[in-house]
Amino acid sequence: MRLPTELNKIWAFAARSLLINRRNVFAIFEMLFWPGISIFSVGLLTKFLKLESDTVTFVLIGAIGMNTIQIAQLDLSYSLLYDVWSKSLRHNFMAPMSLRHLLIGTGLVGILRGFLVFVIMSGLCTWLFGMDLGRPGVTALALFLAGMFLNAAILGILVIALVLRFGHRAEVAAWAFSYLLFLVGGLYYPVTVLPEGIRELAQFIPLTHFLDYFRNFYGFPLVSSSPLLWGFSQSVIYLALCCLFLRKTLRTALRRGTIIKMSE
Amino acid sequence: MQPAIDAQGLCKSFRTGYFRPPKEVLREVDLEVAPGAIFGILGPNGAGKTTLISILTTLLLPDRGRAAILGFDVVKEAGLLRSRINLAASNAHFLWCLTVEENLRFYGRLYGLGGRLLTGKVEELLHLFGLVPHRRSTFESLSTGLKQRLALAKTLINTPELLFLDEPTTGLDPEMSEHIREEIVRLNRETGLTILLTTHNLREAEMLCTEVGFLKGGRLLATGSISDLQTRLGLGDHVILTFKNGAPPIDFQRLPGVLSFEVIDSQVNLVLDRAEVRLAPLLEEVTQQSPEAPEVRIKEADLEDLYREITH
Repeated sequence: MRLPTELNKIWAFAARSLLINRRNVFAIFEMLFWPGISIFSVGLLTKFLKLESDTVTFVLIGAIGMNTIQIAQLDLSYSLLYDVWSKSLRHNFMAPMSLRHLLIGTGLVGILRGFLVFVIMSGLCTWLFGMDLGRPGVTALALFLAGMFLNAAILGILVIALVLRFGHRAEVAAWAFSYLLFLVGGLYYPVTVLPEGIRELAQFIPLTHFLDYFRNFYGFPLVSSSPLLWGFSQSVIYLALCCLFLRKTLRTALRRGTIIKMSE
Repeated sequence: MQPAIDAQGLCKSFRTGYFRPPKEVLREVDLEVAPGAIFGILGPNGAGKTTLISILTTLLLPDRGRAAILGFDVVKEAGLLRSRINLAASNAHFLWCLTVEENLRFYGRLYGLGGRLLTGKVEELLHLFGLVPHRRSTFESLSTGLKQRLALAKTLINTPELLFLDEPTTGLDPEMSEHIREEIVRLNRETGLTILLTTHNLREAEMLCTEVGFLKGGRLLATGSISDLQTRLGLGDHVILTFKNGAPPIDFQRLPGVLSFEVIDSQVNLVLDRAEVRLAPLLEEVTQQSPEAPEVRIKEADLEDLYREITH
């Protein structure tokens, strides 16, 4: 395995993803419009309810986190869907590339777009709704962002695996999975308000712990004793499981002829 | 010499439903292709041509059997093999929003190329396939012919040792088909590239292929050079003798080299084993036994005859 060759293969997917985003007006639209709508509606709700500054931040950081994850995972999810839609899947899989090149290449572009959304939405929230994002400090912000990107990676890889297994119909899974995650992960509320059973389930979602960690800087009590440890360890485990699932799905696709069928 | 393709006992079946038995698509396919050959796989729709090519290009796992391409096992050494082969399918499909040049660059990078090497290779292919004026055109804006040219250009991005072409001229106009065929022959002659192609077009196979194989119902019925197969199947050449005053009463079946014959009025249709050898002595015999010399027309057995004989 030669490093320049590996980097070229990763860059192939990253460069293609950048080109697709540059050409596609909807890619810019989905980076600004939906996150904007989400931030404005939640922000205005906090104004109407006359919430305290710290509670406003509690709610808005959930909205920002959700949009960051959504946008970052889209590049990964779409990486395979674009090939399915254009019926060019077989060309990729008969080249000497592996799934890691695809995941790293498109994942990097996802991180870049997710970071841009985070910065833009944070700026809007600070300017329009008086959110105080600076209190936790740069390190905490970086750790929180890393957590969001890990969640996005888990979702993206899961969607790729489902697309390989079920074809482009699985694209709805991209949205369904993330919204389920947000619902149980306590996006706009502490997980303590969730019904019993679901509250316990929330402890197995890394997003819960990253939100818990960040909101603690604003005086909200921790749900678990070491949220970062829980968040990162769960993320790493789920990421590894998703990668294994993806590998297995690819093997099944090669056995069932899914790649050929999706290229015709 | 190690064969470029060596497949033995390849079998593949697909499930068509949970409660239905699997459908056998390939049955015990053995195939050997020599390096530098242009080998044609012929067969009707649903014969298993695309399934066979998909297994050989590592895109599909066989149920049973083994295949080695350029000495690499298609299952166990797929990763190593992929950098040495390439494939163009009928109906070229690439990402619609990327330009011709961007698509070539993308696939070049997937094969590990970068920097000047990639730029040089892309420029070479753009020139070779007359794509320079279209380099900034998006794939969706290209005509069918240009799309197919891009598909062929993409197959050479990694300088492969073996090329798989799945019905490369389907949907193209005759002029473009001819151009693509010339390109295939040129590549084979100049670089010694081994090519395995599938086609419905018998004339195309006749023009391009040094050897052919007939696939039907998942079985490879016969393989070999066209002339070998003619001899093996006893197809022979068609010789038509026309007599002005009606066919003479000769027992044509007893004449040397005659495989079969049919008399229709003043015309005698003979099927002759190797007309180039047998015709002269046969005519000598006929003129001895007939008061007049016949008019002679020869029609060599072509691939269509072979195809009909083997697949029906």
